[in-house]
Amino acid sequence: MSLVELRQVVKRYGTHTVLDQVDLSVEPGEIVAIIGRSGSGKSTMLRCINGLERVQAGEVVVDGVAVHQPGADLRSLRARVGFVFQSYNLFPHLTAEKNITLGPRIVQGVDPARATELARQALRRVGLEEKLQSYADELSGGQQQRVAIARCLAMSPKIMLFDEITSALDPELVGEVLKVLEDMARDGMTMLVVTHEMNFARRVADRVVFMHQGKVWEQGPAEQIFAEPRTDALRQFLSSVLH
Amino acid sequence: MAYRFQFRDVFAESQALLDGLWVTLQLSAVTIGLGFLVGLAAAACIVYGGRGLKAAALTYVEVIRNTPLIVQLFLIFFGLPSLGLRLDVMTASLLALTINLGAYTAEIIRAGLQNIPRSQIEAGLSIGLSRVQVFRHVEMLPALKAVYPSLASQFVLMTLATSVVSQVSAEDLFHAASIIQSRTFRDFEVYTVVAVLYLALSLVMRGGFAAVYRLAFRRR
Amino acid sequence: MIREIGAIDVFYMALAMRWTLVLTLLALAGGSVIGLAVATAGASSRGWLRFGARLYVGAVQGIPLLALLFVFFFGLSVVGFSLPPLVAATVAYSVYAGAFLGEIWRGALIAVPRTQWEAGASIGLSFAEQLRHVIIPQAVRLATPPSVGFLVQLIKNTSLAAVIGFVELTREGQLTSAATFQPFWVYTIVAALYFSLCFPLTRLSRRLERTLRVAR
Repeated sequence: MSLVELRQVVKRYGTHTVLDQVDLSVEPGEIVAIIGRSGSGKSTMLRCINGLERVQAGEVVVDGVAVHQPGADLRSLRARVGFVFQSYNLFPHLTAEKNITLGPRIVQGVDPARATELARQALRRVGLEEKLQSYADELSGGQQQRVAIARCLAMSPKIMLFDEITSALDPELVGEVLKVLEDMARDGMTMLVVTHEMNFARRVADRVVFMHQGKVWEQGPAEQIFAEPRTDALRQFLSSVLH
Repeated sequence: MAYRFQFRDVFAESQALLDGLWVTLQLSAVTIGLGFLVGLAAAACIVYGGRGLKAAALTYVEVIRNTPLIVQLFLIFFGLPSLGLRLDVMTASLLALTINLGAYTAEIIRAGLQNIPRSQIEAGLSIGLSRVQVFRHVEMLPALKAVYPSLASQFVLMTLATSVVSQVSAEDLFHAASIIQSRTFRDFEVYTVVAVLYLALSLVMRGGFAAVYRLAFRRR
Repeated sequence: MIREIGAIDVFYMALAMRWTLVLTLLALAGGSVIGLAVATAGASSRGWLRFGARLYVGAVQGIPLLALLFVFFFGLSVVGFSLPPLVAATVAYSVYAGAFLGEIWRGALIAVPRTQWEAGASIGLSFAEQLRHVIIPQAVRLATPPSVGFLVQLIKNTSLAAVIGFVELTREGQLTSAATFQPFWVYTIVAALYFSLCFPLTRLSRRLERTLRVAR
């Protein structure tokens, strides 16, 4: 059964329809890249999956949980669904260790010693073990983003959602973050990546979803989407980003 | 036995209240005008002045901002005569209020000037403007626009603070209140009415400043 | 009978400073309680709570402190309480401090970026947990420099309590000035004593402003 299932999802802001009857399903272990222009609904769709946005119609079922229903238990779901933001959103008043152990301790009831060990392992995975006691303002953008990823990993998620995580980074810092994603992909993590990094998408993703005007306009295997776009919208989009 | 609030006695003295209000208005207006100029000068000394000027201005600002207004007023009105300088009530009040407002204004304007990014100044210089021209065309208006809300707020606060001059018997609105109180013995009612009058005054002033802001800093 | 001003006067004035501090601390305590209520009401999602908070803050900030003092001093004695100046002053200054602190703290609460709430939510924290672990620690850091700055205001403003007869530093100065006929020296000493209290706090507030660790 799919890990993520979106059925006819509609999301509106006032009179503006951001998601227009979106269907999407993601199997365990899949790497899905989501591309499209700004305003096409990519980030909004991602945010609907972990309940940061409410939908007006349709169904959002993640790991068996009906997210779209008012009484849904999002708290335990969010421990299983990691979300990494464009602006990292580390807690500036806490060290990297405390940032990472907050979730396991408070939400998952892990004891502090074990939580610190989890934090260390998570930081090791992203290559920043020595930054355990650093604060956000002592880290570069790329390092902050990797700590943000570690923060999610420490809770042992089933699926990771990435919302344009390299868009706010200086170009030379993008590589170190994408490398972490590639490692995670190799380890078999289920990943949804909203991104502008086309080379990354082509290389790493199993499937690419192209969003346009609030709909899933076209989707398919990465090679096919980039080499043989079937719709005009995708063709225009690709020519504007791949010059 | 229940106390019956008698506001009518207070309203009967409305002429005295209006006279006091008029004095408060005049005092506030002159204080704001002069205090702004003093503050502007002091801020300029701090931001652009040489070492001596800057130190003098900073000392002025810090001393005034870290001592109470009423003490400054007493020092000027009661203290100066023993040095040979005897001032009448209104002059002493104006002097104390202006010196006080000048220090707070200086601090606000200084912060506004220092918050203009260096890159703006460099851009002005690199198109050939002189330092003075850069100040006039690149720094002054953005700084004023940025600090306008704080300045307006400070001016309103100062208008309320002018009530302190009643303590040296200047005949402002608050002084009128104490006169009426001694005549009618309606302590609570008098001061409540006066408080409401000050509140109305502060609201009108805030509205006025906001309107001026919209007019002066409109996008052209 | 006029007497010479001497070290003993300085001593008594310094001693009177402790009443300045007592009033300040009492007002801080009362004002913090009120301020907390005003801040949370002002930042709440319920419209009527926000309106109430705004009304309170707007009213208190729109009248002179002297008027507030007198209204409470005379008003409270009218409804049957014959109050010593300290009590009346404490109530008035608490109301005053509550409005200003409430406004500062409300500003701090809403200044924590929305994205911090989202980050907390996305790792599964409940609303209360987000408040406790993510939002309030940052709001406290944001609120500290202006709160210390207000503390300086409060100390200076206790000088007005002299007017209702409360014997703190300024009133002691008035009495000494009347006894020695040396208003210039007396009030200079009074000013210096206030300065010694306020200036270090002003410096502290500035230093705190520089070393904040919050999201922007």
